[in-house]
Amino acid sequence: MDAKISFKLNGKNVSITTDPLRRLLDILRDDFKLTGVKEGCSEGECGACSVLLNGKIVTSCIIPIGAVDGQEVMTIEGVSATEGGKIIVEAFADGGAVQCGFCIPGMVIAAYYLLSNNPNPTDDEIRLGISGNICRCTGYDLIVESIKLAAERGEKIWKK
Amino acid sequence: MEEVKCYMPSTLIEALEIKSKVDCIPLAGGSDLMVAHKRTLGLTPKFDKPVMIIRNLPELRKIYINEKGECVIGSGCTSTEIAENTLCPWHLRQAASRMGAIGLRNSATIGGNIANASPKGDTPGPLYLLDARVKLSSVNGEREELVSDFIVKFRTLDLKSDELITEVIVPYSEDDFDYIFWHKVGTRKANAISKITLSQAIKFAEDGTVADYRVSATATGAKTNRSRDVENIIIGKKISAELIEDVIKAFDGVISPRAMPEFRREATRRMIRRFLSVAATHPENKVIDTYDDYHVTGQPEPRRK
Repeated sequence: MDAKISFKLNGKNVSITTDPLRRLLDILRDDFKLTGVKEGCSEGECGACSVLLNGKIVTSCIIPIGAVDGQEVMTIEGVSATEGGKIIVEAFADGGAVQCGFCIPGMVIAAYYLLSNNPNPTDDEIRLGISGNICRCTGYDLIVESIKLAAERGEKIWKK
Repeated sequence: MEEVKCYMPSTLIEALEIKSKVDCIPLAGGSDLMVAHKRTLGLTPKFDKPVMIIRNLPELRKIYINEKGECVIGSGCTSTEIAENTLCPWHLRQAASRMGAIGLRNSATIGGNIANASPKGDTPGPLYLLDARVKLSSVNGEREELVSDFIVKFRTLDLKSDELITEVIVPYSEDDFDYIFWHKVGTRKANAISKITLSQAIKFAEDGTVADYRVSATATGAKTNRSRDVENIIIGKKISAELIEDVIKAFDGVISPRAMPEFRREATRRMIRRFLSVAATHPENKVIDTYDDYHVTGQPEPRRK
């Protein structure tokens, strides 16, 4: 049973007519071709499919598109186009945070969510902030360092 | 594949009307249901009954203190919202803040955690401890029931087909106790399903006897465990080493862990002993926790293959 679902996607109003039980993850990848969002565990635990829903980080693999009607979604494509997002992406590149890269879109979203709420996180707070994102290359230390770098470089933006 | 019907009400009244006419599965956060019904990569989850999405119903998203001083939590409140709201009792905030991953905590709801009726669910432990009730609403009215009665057994609720869980009402908080304890044993700090979680609280009378003591255990049986009979062993008396052992022995008879039973029993024994013996010394800190040198020595049984 299809239904028309309208929502804001990376700042633009969009709508789609589809089965409301399809996962937000699949809609983003298959229908909107936003393939930055990845499918890892499919159980809401690994964080590879992280997006911002109404500004809060969520795992898009457990959210049916029907629950997104009238809401606001931001994907890695949207986040990395913002001033803060650009700083994080550059810090990840400069800090050598990326190995295979599969977890990185989720990590950048988690870093963006963290720094937006806590501009000066401690090491422990950063680790807590990315505790919902699993890096199977286990390169956590460089990711933590890079988030610290992004916090320093973007000081003025995060404190806004 | 045949698709099931999916309802998307925008108000609670609309949702209750749908529930009165159609036998459907309410879906809020999706953290249990979407996973339980998932198929393979890229495919839509398969439900055998119609689904009603209630994630965004504003009526289910409130947290406040009612006129009786009880904390009322809308069933659609997420773990993050509960963990961050200091109106919510301490034990519940601890449990909510350590549930799953951050992204999941922004979706998972307290109503869903109760309705999932899993003995490993994070919120029932504190809810049993604090005599919490659920409010069940239908087009015909509403009723309240203790969470510990509402969860009948594994995956089974005392819920009529036209009812929705709309509120969770918690009459007690840490303010009603002198010392509190909450400890989750998981394989990791984040993203962990409880191996065993113990919630405890104690209040002393002026003469130094125990006015109230409570203990509840998660993941130690088919259902969250709590027993007033066991707690009554120590209530009205002064804490002594013998009495603590009596409580431990009696509680050991209440729990029925299936996997790794000796590990779970030993961890439970030690956490009760720790809490009661430290509380008996009346320390300054209200929160009694496990120390770094605190170890559970019971060995887990080898994994079944």
